[in-house]
Amino acid sequence: MTLKRAVPARHVFAIYWRTWFAQIRAIVEYPADLWVMASAGAVWNILQFAFLAVLFANVPNVAGWDYHEMLMLSGLLSVAGGCNALFWDGAWSTGTMVIKGDIDYRITRPAPVIIQVGSSHIGMQSIGEVVFGAAMFVYGWIGAGIGFAAVPIGVLAIVCAALIQCALVTALCAVNFWIKGQASIFAFLLIELQGNAMKMPLGIFPSGVRIVAMFLVPVAFVNFVPVSVITGHMSAWWLAGIPAAVIGSVLLAVGVYRLGLRAYDSAGH
Amino acid sequence: MSHSIAVDRALVVIAFKRRLAYKSHWFFGLAIGGGSMLIAMVMWQNLIGSGTLSGYDWDSMRAYTIIGFVAATMVFGAADWTMADRILDGHVAVDLTKPVDFQRARAAEYIGSMLSTFPTAVMGVVAAWLLFDPPGPVSPLAGLLTVVSFAFMFPLAFGLTYLSTLVCFWTKRYLGIMWLREALLSFFSGLMIPLAFMPGWLQAVAWALPFPHFTTTPSAIYLGRVDTAGALGLLAAEAAWAVGLWVLGWLVFRSAVKRVTVHGG
Repeated sequence: MTLKRAVPARHVFAIYWRTWFAQIRAIVEYPADLWVMASAGAVWNILQFAFLAVLFANVPNVAGWDYHEMLMLSGLLSVAGGCNALFWDGAWSTGTMVIKGDIDYRITRPAPVIIQVGSSHIGMQSIGEVVFGAAMFVYGWIGAGIGFAAVPIGVLAIVCAALIQCALVTALCAVNFWIKGQASIFAFLLIELQGNAMKMPLGIFPSGVRIVAMFLVPVAFVNFVPVSVITGHMSAWWLAGIPAAVIGSVLLAVGVYRLGLRAYDSAGH
Repeated sequence: MSHSIAVDRALVVIAFKRRLAYKSHWFFGLAIGGGSMLIAMVMWQNLIGSGTLSGYDWDSMRAYTIIGFVAATMVFGAADWTMADRILDGHVAVDLTKPVDFQRARAAEYIGSMLSTFPTAVMGVVAAWLLFDPPGPVSPLAGLLTVVSFAFMFPLAFGLTYLSTLVCFWTKRYLGIMWLREALLSFFSGLMIPLAFMPGWLQAVAWALPFPHFTTTPSAIYLGRVDTAGALGLLAAEAAWAVGLWVLGWLVFRSAVKRVTVHGG
């Protein structure tokens, strides 16, 4: 069953925010969960900060990148992951919804399925991730001596990083339309390896890894490329690649999700 | 309460078989653990080169990273969600009616699930050995004591995991608790960066916690960074933590179980 009728963009945004605020209301009903999850996000980022501080107490730079530049790299990655959890965490529920037949309800409603699923949950760890990730990014920014002139690029980098991250996670979660399972293992694999690798300068990895991260699964455009441009490690021309990566990732996510919905055959039939 | 060794063995076998039924877990564990190990190898090779950092040269860092991989595979790959879910969905009420000790039964299941990570750990180690050719243990005795330290990791990992899952008596979700535990374990175990790189005060904090025994203890024994007496001291500390966490888990459970209110009961 597919809904062919086009839905106005304003209606889509209204649905998204209404659902999102409903999640916020649900979250505040369980303060213990809220604090545990927010603390988990905060502690994780504080330990990333500590990792870099300890590392740079022993080495002067990593492949030409200094402490503050690496903080920006880690900070932007955390903010992107945090935005995914804050604004689009429901994508992770795709696999569970497919198995339980929960997509049925969403197909019958007059709003895009992907919007309904994406806004169906908020990862509360995002509060810690976004706040402490932003703190790392700003601290690194100031420490690296980057002035106010580059702030618009920084804002663009944060928005694009969040969009690319959400889109890639959505595309990989949508694989669960075909490979059934509660856990979104491919998306989980992406964020695990991305979390480990992309807090490092891409230059330390073999060329095959660099090509994959730049052009096949463009995780490099989440944090590495924007931070490289801001800090002068890469030419400003690379900035053009960031919106291109956003468009490519979003189209990929929408395309895979649509194909997945066509393949969806509900549960138990 | 009639809880026999036969019950423990049955629970270990059931948990082991349940985990083996999902073979994709092997691949998944290998992909995540192996990927993380390769990334760490690349980073340390780049940083250390032909020199040394905090007493680690490239040879010893290769062995350290592989030991970290084995520890992470065993600890992060075990079935902590099964324990947490039983508390969250109320099945714990059924467990309480069974003539088995709750903590001991969960320990048996947890250890069974840890044993199921062996194929992933073995495949990863063999691949890493072929790719990176790390040095062997500093002596046969050090090799033996390293194996003992890995064996102590079973009760130690259970103690930590059990305590963290008990938090679910007070919360509605487990994910944040798991992340918190894994973040602390990754950092203070030396998995993320060896403790030797840290300033003295941070090392003292780490050693006051049970976490270093998940990577630093086995690697220190394996690489000969401690002598035999030091190795035995570390193993004694590991055993003491295993006992201490067991007792703490028992105490917390006694308090937590009073909060069980399944379906209004």
